[in-house]
Amino acid sequence: MAKELTSKSYIDHHLTNLTCGKTESVGWTCDHNYYDEMGFMAFHVDSITISILLGVAFVALFKLIKLNPADQKPTRMQNFVEMCVEFVNENIKSIFGSTDNKLIGPLALTVLIWVFFMNLMDLIPVDFLPELTKQVSYASGIVDDPNDAYFKFVPTTDPNITLGMALGVFILTIFYSIKIKGLGGFIAELTLHPFGKFAIPFNFALEIMQLLAKPLSLGLRLFGNLYAGEMIFILIALLMFFQSAVFGVLGLGLHLLWALFHILVVSLQAFIFMVLTILYLSMAHETGDH
Amino acid sequence: MNINATLISQALIFAVFVYICYKYIWPPILSTMEERENKMAAGLEAAKQADDSLEEAKLTYEKELKEAKEEAANIVEKANKRSSQILNDAKVKAEAEAEKIIESGSKKLENEANKTREELKQQLSSIVVETASKIIDEEIDEKKHENIIKKAAKEI
Repeated sequence: MAKELTSKSYIDHHLTNLTCGKTESVGWTCDHNYYDEMGFMAFHVDSITISILLGVAFVALFKLIKLNPADQKPTRMQNFVEMCVEFVNENIKSIFGSTDNKLIGPLALTVLIWVFFMNLMDLIPVDFLPELTKQVSYASGIVDDPNDAYFKFVPTTDPNITLGMALGVFILTIFYSIKIKGLGGFIAELTLHPFGKFAIPFNFALEIMQLLAKPLSLGLRLFGNLYAGEMIFILIALLMFFQSAVFGVLGLGLHLLWALFHILVVSLQAFIFMVLTILYLSMAHETGDH
Repeated sequence: MNINATLISQALIFAVFVYICYKYIWPPILSTMEERENKMAAGLEAAKQADDSLEEAKLTYEKELKEAKEEAANIVEKANKRSSQILNDAKVKAEAEAEKIIESGSKKLENEANKTREELKQQLSSIVVETASKIIDEEIDEKKHENIIKKAAKEI
């Protein structure tokens, strides 16, 4: 393994997760040298940890604020929280019309805030947390070479994270489809459209693709946008390899510009993920013909 | 792109956070908002009602004020009429009384005068008789000459 810092090793390092998994030869390990041996039984510890922390941050932000009763002036944080809830509710109303589904609101709120928080990690300078992990784990003797300590700190640049959330939405979609239309109705929807009962295999192939494309595109859209954004940050950071003050300042300026633009992407992608979640669930609730 | 068990665990973590939100975060915030909305709606409604009743109260107040003024004017007019009537009555009564008093006074006076006159006549007649008896020096029988005396007295 190349110990010398090259642009390739720099990029590789940034794109590698801290992975723990089960191997045939040494059992459970977090050593990246055994990465290929882990197969499916591997966990991206960094993505999972950060996403849990951010989820806890979301819960803390929305749960620990003081909610003044209705006949008192709301606190500032309460205003913010209520604004978020109002925003989510408005989106649900515009997509669903009216619904008595009690889960869709909390689901959409969780998606919006959590994904937004995870995306927001992208705005922390690219080398901050990875470098910190390197130094800490080297100093504490966990790794022999600081470059063996990996830490990818933007969960949404990990397809496992985005597809995992999409999977959750997908399962809910199936659940509500069956709950609203019945198992027969759901199967009929999959097989009897668009060409009637004489082309059932063809219909099924078409509809199942349509069904599976939804969560896949949902997860990959978020992943792609954030991954690309992260990549640009890394590429701008490569300017440091020129070892020149001019390029350093240029890099700083570009970082700033991209970060400013990225604020848009960060919030927009969180919003899109939420809207699509609501949309897919509303489609599961539709009972009419397509 | 390495898809592995992270995906499953993330789906589970997602479910846990959605459940937490569903159970503990969403309901209190939403119920507070709804409660406030209801309170505000009720407040606005109450304000409107208060406005309406104020308007109504103003109308009633004006109407009653007008009525009261009219009544007051009536009462004053009646009182004026009554007082002038009382005054008039009193005047008439007083005049009548005065007349009566004057009349009775003059009657009494006349009676007194008549009486005095009668007495004076009697006295004069007796004086005349006395004087005449002295003059004629002769006892005139009063009974005998009563007619003459009476005649004389009448002539006085």
